[in-house]
Amino acid sequence: MRKAVAILILILTFFITYLLQVNFFSWFTIASIKPNLFIILTLFVSLFAGTKVGIPYGIIIGLFCDLLLGKTIGINAVMLGIIAFVAGYLDKNFSKESRITIMLMVMGVTCFFELGSYIMQIIELSILIEPLPFLITLLIEIFYNAILTIILYPIIQKIGQYLEETFKEPKILTTYY
Amino acid sequence: MYKNKKTSITGIIITIVILIIIVIISNIKIQDVAYIENALGVVIMPIQNGLTYLKNWISGNNSFFSNINTLQEENEALKKKNIELEQSLRELEIIKSENDTLREYVNLTDKYSEYKTLPAYVIQRDISNYSDIIIINIGSKEGIEVNMPVISEQGLVGHIISVTDHTAKVQTIIDTASTISCTISSSRDKMVARGTLQQNSTLKATFIPTEATILEGDSVETSGIGGIYPKGIHIGTISQIINTKNITDRYAIIQTAVDFNKLETMLVIVGNNESNQGEGT
Repeated sequence: MRKAVAILILILTFFITYLLQVNFFSWFTIASIKPNLFIILTLFVSLFAGTKVGIPYGIIIGLFCDLLLGKTIGINAVMLGIIAFVAGYLDKNFSKESRITIMLMVMGVTCFFELGSYIMQIIELSILIEPLPFLITLLIEIFYNAILTIILYPIIQKIGQYLEETFKEPKILTTYY
Repeated sequence: MYKNKKTSITGIIITIVILIIIVIISNIKIQDVAYIENALGVVIMPIQNGLTYLKNWISGNNSFFSNINTLQEENEALKKKNIELEQSLRELEIIKSENDTLREYVNLTDKYSEYKTLPAYVIQRDISNYSDIIIINIGSKEGIEVNMPVISEQGLVGHIISVTDHTAKVQTIIDTASTISCTISSSRDKMVARGTLQQNSTLKATFIPTEATILEGDSVETSGIGGIYPKGIHIGTISQIINTKNITDRYAIIQTAVDFNKLETMLVIVGNNESNQGEGT
């Protein structure tokens, strides 16, 4: 029952994120640059629910975005899957209790996601390589995502704790024994 | 983790306020700040009027109190009239908006009468900062197919890249993966225009022939080569020419005729009305 509720929360969170991204953040931009809520969502799901849930979740929502708005199928799916995987590594090495750490994680994965997507687009679609406009867009997007993380952190932490209790097995910190 | 919950909430509120301010400031246009002028006018003009009145009063031109009762009655009547007019204006604005949309469709159809077209409007825009795909409200059930060109009253919009039953995905010409073969209208020189990451509806024109005479302000249209876009559809105008040491590397910036930020209605070209048109399709 608890798992079913958690899965329902994950589905609902995705739809709310999607609607916010498509409607609200299509005009609520910083210098015409939109944030990417899917990166934040995938990172948090993987951090709190673990990579076993995070990776398939990232791939599914990535595929959804690719099918609805992408030029090719796979770029978002692959990159969000990788982000979920990276989140597992970050969870093992850093504390997700600190807001600053979380913010830095979001900034890092945003940079990683967009850089990866851009390189994949260059290879797959032969797009023009424009380092400077890309860098400017990326920096603004990173900044925007970081600000949103500060705002959303309390909600994310509450939902995250519920997901953590549902999906993750309790950790035994052997070093303390 | 939090030392103080109240401090945390205050922090979030401050961050939201800062974010809103950044968004507003970053998207502001010079012409949009006219309201500041208006606001200043609201503050300063009554003082100015008062001073002018004082000056006139001192000069012996005081007629302010003479008809004060009549003026109050007139003011009340005008207020009522104003409310009625505002109501009418709102109704007219709704009618005007509907009329504009219909007229846009009619104008579009007249302008491109040589093509069989279907009207459409944007239902969703791209979520990424690095591509420009739009979704329109017609799909395969309405006769839309992949690679059909999309135009608007101002010029070329893009082409269909995928369709569902009632929607279609349009890759706009400013998308980073878009490439169009185009012609300078005056000199008939051909070049290739590609979408860029710039956020201001521009294209980068490359492969400009070395002997080509190209000037800022020249109109650019589709060449018909490439198999997707018909010949002669307006793309935009050349806004900048960037000369390099090697003349073969020079390129030009094309300002698209279509303002993609405001694009709402468009036409999908589904076929030709005249057999000799659109050699590129």
